[in-house]
Amino acid sequence: MSRRYADSWIMVSLIFLGVLFMLPLVVTLTNSLMPANDILSHYTTRLSVFDIVNGVKERYIQIPLIPSQISLSQYADVLVNQPSFLILLTNSLKITVPVVLGNVIVSMLAAYGFSIWKWKHKEKIFFIYIVVMLMPLQAVLVPNYIVADQLGLTTSYLAIILPGIFSPFGTFLLRQNMKSLPKEYFEAAQVDGANSLYMFLHIALPQMKSGIAALAMLVFIEYWNIVEQVIIFIKEYYREPLSVFLSHIPSENISMIFAASVVYMLLPLWFLMLGQKDLEKGIELSGIK
Amino acid sequence: MNDKKLHIDPAALFLMLGLIGLVLFYIWPFTLSLWYSLLDKPVKGSFVGLNNFIELFHNKSYLMGLKNTLLFIGVSVPLGMILSLLVALLIHRVKRHKKLFTLVFLIPLVIPSGSMVFFWKALFLNEGYVNALLNFIGLNGVNWLETSAALYIILLIFLWKNLGYNMVLFMAGIHNIPKEYYEAAAVDGANAFQTFFRITLHCLTPMTVLVVIMSIINSFKVFKEIYLITGSYPHESIYMLQHFMNNMFYSLNYQKLTTATCILVLIITLMVQFLFRFERRAVE
Repeated sequence: MSRRYADSWIMVSLIFLGVLFMLPLVVTLTNSLMPANDILSHYTTRLSVFDIVNGVKERYIQIPLIPSQISLSQYADVLVNQPSFLILLTNSLKITVPVVLGNVIVSMLAAYGFSIWKWKHKEKIFFIYIVVMLMPLQAVLVPNYIVADQLGLTTSYLAIILPGIFSPFGTFLLRQNMKSLPKEYFEAAQVDGANSLYMFLHIALPQMKSGIAALAMLVFIEYWNIVEQVIIFIKEYYREPLSVFLSHIPSENISMIFAASVVYMLLPLWFLMLGQKDLEKGIELSGIK
Repeated sequence: MNDKKLHIDPAALFLMLGLIGLVLFYIWPFTLSLWYSLLDKPVKGSFVGLNNFIELFHNKSYLMGLKNTLLFIGVSVPLGMILSLLVALLIHRVKRHKKLFTLVFLIPLVIPSGSMVFFWKALFLNEGYVNALLNFIGLNGVNWLETSAALYIILLIFLWKNLGYNMVLFMAGIHNIPKEYYEAAAVDGANAFQTFFRITLHCLTPMTVLVVIMSIINSFKVFKEIYLITGSYPHESIYMLQHFMNNMFYSLNYQKLTTATCILVLIITLMVQFLFRFERRAVE
């Protein structure tokens, strides 16, 4: 009896917490379906002539959970009427896609290299990877800047992309992922005369599949939400990725902010739906053990 | 056993690209940072020892950023761990829809911070929705983002966004506790309280150390939210190290930048070392 009681309590508290956690997302979604005028009337705090006549002294923002009118006008603005939004979206892609692809390729090769390497000091080298990996972005930015400066890239996306490609996190993650692979596989293949490229393509890669999915997802999420590097390397607002631009969207475009926010979160949300298991695995592997 | 012929280890070829990149983009500039921090100017500078470090510790903005960053770590790490452990335990115990509940807490983790900025501002501005509600029930609102309340608001937003990460780590840890332990405890007549502290928490110790390390590293990400919501010059309770560094970037003050970087690297390294040692002792 008491067991059942406890079970329903757990259910109720989880549902309560879950609803609380989803509320910001739900409000953003529902408000993205509000017509532009409604957004302006709900989210501007400047007093209008009517307010002054009516003796209203303060106006507060109102956040409706369900809009009184439904319209797709915000989405029409974002996707059709305002090409600038799509340009900024391509900025995000121009940074994120090369980093994800580059980092996955470099990490795959290096992780495999580490697992077949027979040098006795290789764990010491790997330890350096871990130390660098543990440095928060704030500690890496100045070194990034120094290299970009020497290469003459301080205003280029490459200043962000190159360190991203060579970030040691991916190598660490994929090597952790490959540790579960029995050594006998490689040994047996070697006995059969397979060379290391063959073993990479036919034994290691298929085993790394889920690790690669996890890595790609984690790197994508990180660079889709890029902020710190943008502030330092990118001066012109039209070259900013949306991750930063959304926070200072000009006031005349306020009416489309919710749709713009939704469009920008669609890709990571879609990836999460496709690969929830992979993301969880990635997080578990990212722990140093 | 090994035929001593000169040949290149194929492993080296696979590692080459990654290692060159790591040295070029991380190790080399790190070393250069350390070197610059000991000079009086980056070009043709002369050696000044720890002068830059002493100077930095007399800089008010730097101290404020450092203090706030450490304070935020001190508050957000334990709080985030308790909350995520709680949620992980709840999800572990729930009978149905485990995957769905996990998903719910993972969603904030993947949503770009920028997508939520307008919503958070609409909630917490002085004329925001929270103050509208307070006003409605007859209370006076607070200017949430421009008083010392800002720290709590940012903490709230940070926990909302990052809870899922630690939750997944804890869930993996809980999943690995052998069921027999609980069965044995039940036979011995242990109550729920004892079971939780003696078995669940005890078995989770190594995982907890890991979560502490990852939380400390992740807690630096709070700068994204602070910057996007409150800009370059936030209220002084949420002025972080990165704010200081950004301002030094504008004036390109290499000495302060590299010195601040070195101190940060030192702090992180010491913290992680300490935690690893703690873990080893806890496991024994």
